[in-house]
Amino acid sequence: MSMHIKKVLRTASQYGLLSLIAIICIFPFWWTLVVAMSTEGNLFEFPPTFWPRGISLDNFIEAFRVIPIIAFYKNSLLITLATVLGKLIVCSLAAYPLSRMQFSGSKLIMGVILATMILPSEVNFLVNFITMTKISLVNTYTAVVLPNIVTAVSILLLKQAFDEVPQDLLDAARVDGASEWIIFYRIVLPLITPWLATVGILTAVEAWNEYIWPSIVISKPEDFPLSAGVLYLRGTYGSSTRVIAAGTILTVAPILVAFLFTQRFFMRGMDGAVK
Amino acid sequence: MSMLGSVSAISKRRNLLAYVFLAPALILLLMFSFWPVMYGSYLSFTDFSLIREVHWVGFANYRALFANDMFLTGLKNSLLFLLVVPFTQLGAISLAVLVNNQLPGIRWFRAAYYVPVVTTVSVVGIMWGFMFHEQGTLNYVLLQLHLIAAPLGWLSDDALALFAVMFVSFWRGLGWYMVMYLAALQSLPAEMQEAAILDGANRWQRFWRITVPMLKPTILVCSIMSVLAALKAYQEVDVLTQGGPMNSTFTALYYAYDQGLKHLKLPRGLAASFVVSLCCMAIAFICLRWLKPGHRE
Amino acid sequence: MVKMRDCLEILGSICKELLSRPKLRLILSVLLLSFGLHGNAFAVQKIEFWTMSLKPKFIPYFQELVKNYEAQHPGIKLEWVDFPWDILQLKLITAIAAGTPPALVNLSVPWAEEMARDGLLEPVDALLAAPGATNDYTDAALADLRFNGKVYGFPHYSNVNVIAYNRKILAAAGIFQAPRSMDELLTQAVMISLKTGKPGYAPALGKIDGFFMQQGLDLMRDGKVVFNSPAHVMLVKKLAATYKAGGFLKDKLFAEDNFPAVVDAYLGGRLGVMVSAPTAIKRIQTDAPQIYAQTGIFPVPPGPTGINDGGWMFHFAIPKGVKKKDIPEVAAFARYLTSDTNQLAFARMAGVMPTTRQALANPYFKKINPNAGASEQALAVAANSMNSARSLYVSGIDDYDELRRFLVKAVEAGVTGRRDIQEALDEAVGIWNRKLQGPKLP
Repeated sequence: MSMHIKKVLRTASQYGLLSLIAIICIFPFWWTLVVAMSTEGNLFEFPPTFWPRGISLDNFIEAFRVIPIIAFYKNSLLITLATVLGKLIVCSLAAYPLSRMQFSGSKLIMGVILATMILPSEVNFLVNFITMTKISLVNTYTAVVLPNIVTAVSILLLKQAFDEVPQDLLDAARVDGASEWIIFYRIVLPLITPWLATVGILTAVEAWNEYIWPSIVISKPEDFPLSAGVLYLRGTYGSSTRVIAAGTILTVAPILVAFLFTQRFFMRGMDGAVK
Repeated sequence: MSMLGSVSAISKRRNLLAYVFLAPALILLLMFSFWPVMYGSYLSFTDFSLIREVHWVGFANYRALFANDMFLTGLKNSLLFLLVVPFTQLGAISLAVLVNNQLPGIRWFRAAYYVPVVTTVSVVGIMWGFMFHEQGTLNYVLLQLHLIAAPLGWLSDDALALFAVMFVSFWRGLGWYMVMYLAALQSLPAEMQEAAILDGANRWQRFWRITVPMLKPTILVCSIMSVLAALKAYQEVDVLTQGGPMNSTFTALYYAYDQGLKHLKLPRGLAASFVVSLCCMAIAFICLRWLKPGHRE
Repeated sequence: MVKMRDCLEILGSICKELLSRPKLRLILSVLLLSFGLHGNAFAVQKIEFWTMSLKPKFIPYFQELVKNYEAQHPGIKLEWVDFPWDILQLKLITAIAAGTPPALVNLSVPWAEEMARDGLLEPVDALLAAPGATNDYTDAALADLRFNGKVYGFPHYSNVNVIAYNRKILAAAGIFQAPRSMDELLTQAVMISLKTGKPGYAPALGKIDGFFMQQGLDLMRDGKVVFNSPAHVMLVKKLAATYKAGGFLKDKLFAEDNFPAVVDAYLGGRLGVMVSAPTAIKRIQTDAPQIYAQTGIFPVPPGPTGINDGGWMFHFAIPKGVKKKDIPEVAAFARYLTSDTNQLAFARMAGVMPTTRQALANPYFKKINPNAGASEQALAVAANSMNSARSLYVSGIDDYDELRRFLVKAVEAGVTGRRDIQEALDEAVGIWNRKLQGPKLP
């Protein structure tokens, strides 16, 4: 009996601890949701409200009126789509020779790519901004997307993916006289679709969430992506906290929903990175 | 379409092809990763302006930078930010161990811990702004637990604000590193743990004597990433406090962002970002040297 | 020749593959079309004007304004863009550097001064009125925008402070008339404290620089830091004496923004006098009706400079780079934007004060019936003071906020009696000198 009780207690305490930490991680979202859905009661008072009072969608409607949320969504989608496409194309093109072709200088190129992992790229926003201004790309979505298309991590992940393709397939194809491009496009690429999906999803989340670079490069607030636009709610003639909360929920909801359905990609991506 | 001819012609063509494949990536990397470091460092020795003529000024920017209180505070804070690293790493390892089991529903807990990571920083800032409010939930909970006697101004008190910002950084980092440690844990051979259990070691001993040492490579990599991230922290500052109150939450890179872009004093921003770059590169270099003998990426 | 063929082959295959899939085709075209954000209007003249932090409150106002103007001027297309104030400068300079500046931009006076100094604004002296007419802007407003002898903007809105006083408290202290000078105001504050035990006045000493300037005491003269002069010390001594006698509200007296504390105290009947813009008076009406009923309005005594307190003007300027041939139409629109009727409408919505004489003479401001409450009286008093409302600021100093903090700390030490006033001010001057002469950051 005692063994059984001990086990139950242990499991219970495990769940207890897990839940406590989960609460710390999730509570800010919950509170924001509560505020967004409430129309009554004081916001900041003791004890705080843990449940919406006067549930209604008014705040959300107001948020749509106050900031151009539809435009922000559209902008975010555009930027995300372009970044994902760009990254998948450019990085898989780059990873393929590193993995499957012998060519002179491959070690050097590999070193160069690894070196960019050491370069503190966040720091580059000032000069990238200056570059964009000088080549007249400032205030375009191209400028927002370009710096994010190539990352060493993506190249490495895709290289790993290519590494796993059996060499015999390629040898057979080469013997048959297929050009390298056909091998890449028709044979190898389809084989690593799960990896492409992983990189694609990781990139999509990163691109959707980026707020500082777009806000630096894009001129007009209406053209901001959602992540930057939601901050716009906190302006001088600012909106009430409830509306800000509503706008916040509108911003996070899609990502959270998408995340719940694609969790395994994130975990798998980390696996790859760790190796 | 096979090519007849000497082997060297084939390999020349292969080389070319490889570079054609690599070209877009290399060009972009050059433009947006390497060029900024070089050009930025050059510009930091000038009085660069978007609208005026540019002149060489030598070390003047740096001399003034290190005499500037705001920047020095920022530098100090960036170093203070390193305090986040041990907490984040320890926390992440513990979490990873905690979730490294097959309990029903464990997937949902893992997802919950990762949610802060996939949330955009701007939203994180807004939400924690609510939590940190003087009449907000955090103060309420602390008061109820009798940990504090009166509500604290987490974001309005210049002694506390930086720690509030650091906490948010910690909150976001936990899930990220947890997943990495989890992956590493799951690739560890189970035999060692089993042997230790047979030998009578308890969980604590097993954790510190076996798990942690076997995780060493991952710990090293994650710690370096964490250290670099701490030195480069600035987005959390922007969304939570914008450097206030009284400039107490400035970090070195936030100084570059604020002065360079909000006040358009680009030379200061460039000099400050170069200082941060140097620190990061130096640390990364030292760590790599240290790791090199037994390690490949 | 091998090179080219390979590249073309690869590019060709990529294109063929991508374009053979309708979905991809669709995505590509959407991307290509949306990638340029620069609008182009060829047949009409496009006027883009930028405002600072006016959305969402003024969306209806500006939409209406734009509609009316475009209806009256078929050859013009207006585009309204609003920016949060903290990114406006960056986006403006970027646009000027990229050669695509807006036609008009909403600026504050210090920013305009800086930009005019850098040659980034167009002087508009000749454009302030339609050809043949004279402009109607107040002298103070134009003086605010006159740099090196030329005017650099079309005045829009400003503000001015009035004194809201609690009749009961002042009567108990035996005060029945408006103070005619700052000295008198300080004396009244002391009397209120002595007779009623409540503080009389709550100046924003966190903005001591504005305080000095309004009293005609500049912080710098001929490039030298002079706020430790006998005149300055004398003023601080007076403040210290008032403080000692309990004349000041102690809450947040030296905070960067003491306004919330001041309003709280006044609404709670704990403060004799509140100096603020007329909009705040409206708040008293809603938040504390009993106090409102006891509130009367005095004008703020202008300092020896004749300048009234609380001026902070916003205006519309024309950046450099706007095409010369476009400027007449741009100026016409600017005049429309800042015309009497539009300024009046804006002022009523925003609770600010217009800067044209006709708007200020409007019955909204001038006609008050004898039983009018404090907020209407405030408007009338304010309207009268507008012609001497100047925006006060210190120009040309880097990291000004940091420096000001040292000054405020020194004044705080002196006023609260912790340190000798001359000593504290001397030390602050020393710090300013050191920082101003130290290595300069461009």
